[in-house]
Amino acid sequence: MNVASIPAPVVTHSAVSAADLVEKISIRHLNFYYGDSRALKDLTLPLYANKVTAFIGPSGCGKSTLLRVLNRMYDLYPNQRADGEVRMDGENILSPALDVNLLRARVGMVFQKPTPFPMTIYENIAFGIRLYEQMPRAELDVRVEQSLRRAALWEEVKDKLGASGLSLSGGQQQRLCIARTVAVRPEVILLDEPCSALDPISTAKIEELIDELRADYTIIIVTHNMQQAARVSDFTAFMYLGELVEFGSTRQMFTTPSDPRTQDYITGRFG
Amino acid sequence: MPPDGRKSVADITLQGGLAVDAPASRAKLLARMRLGDMAFRHVTRAAAVAVLIILGGVILSLISGSLPALRAFGLNFFVQQSWNPVTERFGALAPIYGTVVTSFIAMLIAVPIGLLIAVFLTELCPLWLRRPIGIAIELLAGIPSIIYGIWGLFIFAPFLQTTLQPFLIAAFGNVPVLSSLFEGPPYGIGVLTAGLILAIMVLPFITSITRDVFEAVPPVLKEAAYGVGCTTWEVVRYVVLPYARVGVIGGIMLGLGRALGETMAVTFVIGNAHRVSTSLLAPGTTISATIANEFTEAIGDLYTSSLIALGLILFIITFIVLTAARIMLAQIERRAGN
Amino acid sequence: MALYNKRRRRNALAMGLSLAATAFGLGWLVLILGVLVWKGFSGLSLEVFTEMTPPPGSAGGLLNPIIGSLVMTTLAVVIGTPIGMLAGTYMAEYGRHDRLAHVVRFINDILLSAPSIVIGLFIYEIMVAPMGHFSGWAGAVALAVIVIPVVVRTTEDMLILVPNSLREAAIALGMPRVTVIAHISYRAARAGMVTGVLLAIARISGETAPLLFTALNNQFWSMNLNAPMPSLPVVIFQFALSPYKDWQSLAWTGALIITFTVLALSIIARVLAAPRKSS
Repeated sequence: MNVASIPAPVVTHSAVSAADLVEKISIRHLNFYYGDSRALKDLTLPLYANKVTAFIGPSGCGKSTLLRVLNRMYDLYPNQRADGEVRMDGENILSPALDVNLLRARVGMVFQKPTPFPMTIYENIAFGIRLYEQMPRAELDVRVEQSLRRAALWEEVKDKLGASGLSLSGGQQQRLCIARTVAVRPEVILLDEPCSALDPISTAKIEELIDELRADYTIIIVTHNMQQAARVSDFTAFMYLGELVEFGSTRQMFTTPSDPRTQDYITGRFG
Repeated sequence: MPPDGRKSVADITLQGGLAVDAPASRAKLLARMRLGDMAFRHVTRAAAVAVLIILGGVILSLISGSLPALRAFGLNFFVQQSWNPVTERFGALAPIYGTVVTSFIAMLIAVPIGLLIAVFLTELCPLWLRRPIGIAIELLAGIPSIIYGIWGLFIFAPFLQTTLQPFLIAAFGNVPVLSSLFEGPPYGIGVLTAGLILAIMVLPFITSITRDVFEAVPPVLKEAAYGVGCTTWEVVRYVVLPYARVGVIGGIMLGLGRALGETMAVTFVIGNAHRVSTSLLAPGTTISATIANEFTEAIGDLYTSSLIALGLILFIITFIVLTAARIMLAQIERRAGN
Repeated sequence: MALYNKRRRRNALAMGLSLAATAFGLGWLVLILGVLVWKGFSGLSLEVFTEMTPPPGSAGGLLNPIIGSLVMTTLAVVIGTPIGMLAGTYMAEYGRHDRLAHVVRFINDILLSAPSIVIGLFIYEIMVAPMGHFSGWAGAVALAVIVIPVVVRTTEDMLILVPNSLREAAIALGMPRVTVIAHISYRAARAGMVTGVLLAIARISGETAPLLFTALNNQFWSMNLNAPMPSLPVVIFQFALSPYKDWQSLAWTGALIITFTVLALSIIARVLAAPRKSS
C-alpha cells in the first residue's frame, strides 16, 4: 500500500522510505462520542507495522481516547461510542460482529498506573497465557521466563516468582505489566502514558524496552512528554481538541513541522 | 484591641454594633465564649462516653443476671440438652445448636446468591436499572422481622410442607448419610424453614456490602484484565474477587451477625422444641427464640437467670463475629483511602 | 479455539446465574410484599384506627397498640436523638483522631448490629426488675438504646462530610467553636442528620423483641407510662400466634401498617438525602 495515496490533513515523510512501511492499522473518518459530546472529530491516519507511533497533544486533546478505540476498551462504558472505520489487517475492528476478546488478544494495552493483578508474579504472566493456550507446566515456565526477559525483568524477579505482584516497585510493576502484555503474543501494543507514574531511571529502562520491542510489535504510545515522543517514536501524530492536526515522521515533525499549531506546541507555547 | 485605638470588626460585633470603649467587657465576653466552648465540648464528650457506658451496662447486667444459673450448672450449662422448668434443670445445648444451624443454613444460601446479585449489579445490569434494583434490595432489608415471621408462619411454612419437605424426604430417603438430615414428618415449620427465612433476610445485607466493595475496585485494574482478553466472569473471578476478598468476608460476617441475633422471624417458624435432632425438618429452637417465648412466663430465679445466661452467650458470639467483621471492613476502607 | 469456546460458555453460564439470582432475590420481595398487601388490606378499615383491641371472637381495631407505639417511639426519639447527636458531634468535631472517638466508633458499630433482644434483657435488668413491674418507660428506653447508635453513626458520617475549609473560614472570623458547630456544621449536614433520625424511627417501628419484656403488652387503653403499654409489633406477635381468625386478620393488617410506615420513612429519608448528592 502506497503511503502517499492516503488522504490526511498534513502527512510528511521524508527520512523514512515508503517501501518498508506496511500499514497495520488504518483509521478513517473516526468519530468518538461521550454521550452527546464529540471527543474525536473525523480522524484519518495510518499506523505502521513494527514502528512506534506517538500520539501527542495537550490535555484533553483526545489522544488517550483514540488509543482506547484501538482495543475497543470503550465498550465497557455504555455512553461511549465510536463510528467510522478502523481497519486492522483489513478487518474493521469497530464492527459489532467482531469478537472483542479475541481483538484484545491481538492488541495489548499497558496503562498509566501499573496494574499488577492480585496474584503472584508468576501467575500474573501465566494467567494471560492460559486464557489462550493449554500447555504443560514446564512449557509454561519457559514462556513466563521468556516474557519476563523480554520486559527486562527476569533477573530481578527470577528468585521470587511466588511473591505477590504488588511487592515490586513501581517501575518493576510496570515492566511486569509489559511482560504480561507480551506474554499473550499480541501484534500491537498500546501504551497509555506508561512512564508518567515512574521515576526517571525506570522511565529510561522502559524507553529502552520500547526500542527493543519495536522489532516484533507495532507500538502506539500516548505521551504528554514531548522529549519522550522525540526519543522513542518513528511517527508522531499531534492532536488538538479532538482533531488530528499533523501526522508525520518524528524527525520531520520535531524539526520542520508544517502546521503552526504543531510548532507552537512543540516549542512549549501552550499545553 | 489594636494598639492605635481603632475598633476591630470583632470588637464591634461583640459589642452589638455600638462603639463602646470597653476592653474589659471584651475580655469578659471572650471568657464567656471560652467557657461555653468548654462546656459544650464536655457535654458532647459525655454523650460519647455514654455510648461506652451503655455497652458496659449491657455486658455487666447480662453477667450479673446469669450468675445464678452459671453458678448452679457450671460449664455443664453449655452441653446439657434438657430444659425443664419443673425440675429446674436447664441446658443451653438445644438453643445454641439451633442458633448455629439456622445461621449456617442461612449463610450457605445467602452468600452465593448475594455475591451473584452483586456481580449482576456491577457488571451486567444496564445503568438505568441499577438504582431501582438497589433500592428494591434495600427495601427487602428494611422489612421488619416480625413481618417475615408471620409471612413465614402462614405462607412459607405451609408451602414448604407441601412441596420442598416431601421432596427432600423422598429424594434423600435412601441415601445413607443424608437421609438422617431429612427425616421425620413434614411439619412445615422447623430448623430448615427457619434457616431459609433467615437466608432471605440476610441476603440484602450481603448483596449491598458486596456490591459496595466491588464498586471500590479501581476500574483501571478491571480494564487491565479486559485488556488481556478476559471475559466478564474471568475479570470477576480472578481480579475483582481476590482484590475485594477481605471486604466481602467482612460483609459476610456482618450478615452472619444479623442471622445469629434474629428473633422474631425465627420464633414463628422454628417450632420451639428444646431438642437437638439430626433432622433439619424437626422443630428446634434458637437462643433468641427461647428468650422471646419464655421470658415473660419464667417463674423462679433460676429459670430467668438461665434465660439471661442464654442472652449472654448470644451477645458474646455476636460480639466476636461483629468485631471480626469491622476489622476486615476497616482494612478495606484503609486500602481504598490509599 | 476449543479453549476459547469453553471460556465463553462458562462466562455465559455465570452471567445467566447472576441474572437468575437477581430475579430470585427480587421475587421474594414481590412475594412477601404482595402477600402482605393482599392479606392486610382486606382487614383495613376505619375501625382499625378507632377501635381498641378486642377479646377473641369480637370485632375491633388496633387503636391502643398504635397509640402505644407512637408514644414509645416518640419518647425513644426524644431521649435517644440528643444523646446520639451530641456523641456524633464529639466524634466528628472534637475527637476525630482521638483515642476515645476511635473506641466509641468501634463500640457504636457493635451496638448498631447487636441483637435487639439482648437490649431488651439489659433494660429488664436495670429498669423492670428494680421497679418491680413492666412499663412504657422501660419500652421507650429500650427503643432509645437502639436509636442512639443509628443517630451517632449518621451524625458522625454527615458531619465528617462537611468540608474543613468551611469550618476554618468561620473560625478565622473569630467565631467560638460552639457557634461554628451549631451554625455551620449542623446547617451543612442538616439534611443528612434528619435522614439519620428518620432511619432510626424506621428501624424501631418494627422492633418487637426489645418490647417483649420491657413494655410487655396491654389489652386496654393505657396512657400510663408506668404500666405495661401496648405496642403494634407485640400485639401482632400475640395475635398471629393465637388460634383466632379475627385476631390473625388484625395481625396481618397491623403488619401492613408497620411495613408501610417503615417503607414510607425510608423513601422520605432517601428523598431528603438525594438533593445533597446532586449538588
